[in-house]
Amino acid sequence: MSAASHQNFGQKSKRVVNEATVKWSNLLLKVAEHDRAAFEQLFVKFSPLIKAFANKQAGADKGVNMSEELVQETMVKVWQKAPSFNPEKASASTWIFTIARNTRIDLLRKNARHFVNKATSIPGNDQQDDGFDVHDIWIENEDEDIFNQLVKQRNSEALHEAMKALPEEQSFILKKVYLEDKSHSEIAKELQMPLGTVKSRVRLALNKLSLSVDR
Amino acid sequence: MVKYHPDTRFLTDYAAGSLPESQALCVAAHLHYCSGCRAKIRELTQLGAEFFLTQEPEAVSDDSFDRLWQNLQKQETSAARQTHPQQESATTPDTTKATKTTTNSPKSAQELPQAIEKLTRGNINSLKWRNIGKSFRFSNIPLGEQSRETTLFHIKAGGNVPKHHHGGDEITVVLKGSFSDQEDHYHVGDYIVRTSGESHTPVASQDEDCLCLASLDAPIVMNNWFYRVLAPFFNRPTAW
Ligand SMILES: [Zn+2]
Repeated sequence: MSAASHQNFGQKSKRVVNEATVKWSNLLLKVAEHDRAAFEQLFVKFSPLIKAFANKQAGADKGVNMSEELVQETMVKVWQKAPSFNPEKASASTWIFTIARNTRIDLLRKNARHFVNKATSIPGNDQQDDGFDVHDIWIENEDEDIFNQLVKQRNSEALHEAMKALPEEQSFILKKVYLEDKSHSEIAKELQMPLGTVKSRVRLALNKLSLSVDR
Repeated sequence: MVKYHPDTRFLTDYAAGSLPESQALCVAAHLHYCSGCRAKIRELTQLGAEFFLTQEPEAVSDDSFDRLWQNLQKQETSAARQTHPQQESATTPDTTKATKTTTNSPKSAQELPQAIEKLTRGNINSLKWRNIGKSFRFSNIPLGEQSRETTLFHIKAGGNVPKHHHGGDEITVVLKGSFSDQEDHYHVGDYIVRTSGESHTPVASQDEDCLCLASLDAPIVMNNWFYRVLAPFFNRPTAW
């Protein structure tokens, strides 16, 4: 029940019509009907963002360049999965971000597995592949359960404004979390600060954005 | 009712996609049982999308869209020709194990988290288990991660996990039944984190078998006979 308690902000702002959100959603709905022009418009907007996203991930600077691959693979999935897009459940940008994130995980996983398989074969351990797809673990489908829970989507512009108002040290860390593909422990190591400090900065930031914090 | 939840650290790293797979599997298992955390993930993912949008765009190569479009056309023609396209990676090479045994049919397709259902194919006995004593057995899940072990373990009603402690963190998610340790009693969906150095002896409840998913950070520190049985598995990362 506590999930609904920090939603007051979101529910009010739900009524504000966000033009950009509506635009991308409508394009995505057309893509579901195999509209090439709509797809190209989405591509023009999102592929440079996906490329930037790929280039920021850990390892990109170490010669592991998968940016064009990530653009291609993500957009293929956008085309294929468009019929399952429901604008009532997610904004187009969240939906595309989720696919880009999962595709990035998938590419990194394939690289890692390839490396492990080459490096070792363990006697008595005959199952080398778990057979999981990335979406078995990073679930993509929005469920009705959540949808019915008064947890409405946050207004994109309001959230954006709140993000701009974050103190530098907090938005700095959130960017590392979301864009650089670094876990809390990796950030702690990189910035040479205790894990607890990273955790509390993230918590403070989420608090300021009126987002979920620990109960 | 789920009582123990992943903290903000686990949830944000999961939403961002940076959580190690082994731990992400545990979070996903918890989410299967906890709609409150699913709602949080939804918000945290939306925040990720906002950061995604604030990035400085980077130009893709000129022929990028054309290549994409050609690729899609190719895929669609081959899909049209082939009415039943082969699902990639949906089956493991070993098909003999996939043969369904009719004795233990699943109660419901949605009973266990999606990934675990896929792994067990509806029957936990289809996995390769190693027994330790009469009431404890475990089955490793090979995720290709070098620094972590991911394990399903099963305790018979009233039985216990052999006493152990470890150098790294341990995450446990209860999938079936319930167990207790010195601190509390844990139920289906509970996400329990034990940090390095803690020692505990989980005991399953008397009336029901207990199935759990665990993610263990290496190195595992064990100092009795149990160690010798598990060492080949747990010491894998340092063995080469
Ligand atoms: Zn929860």
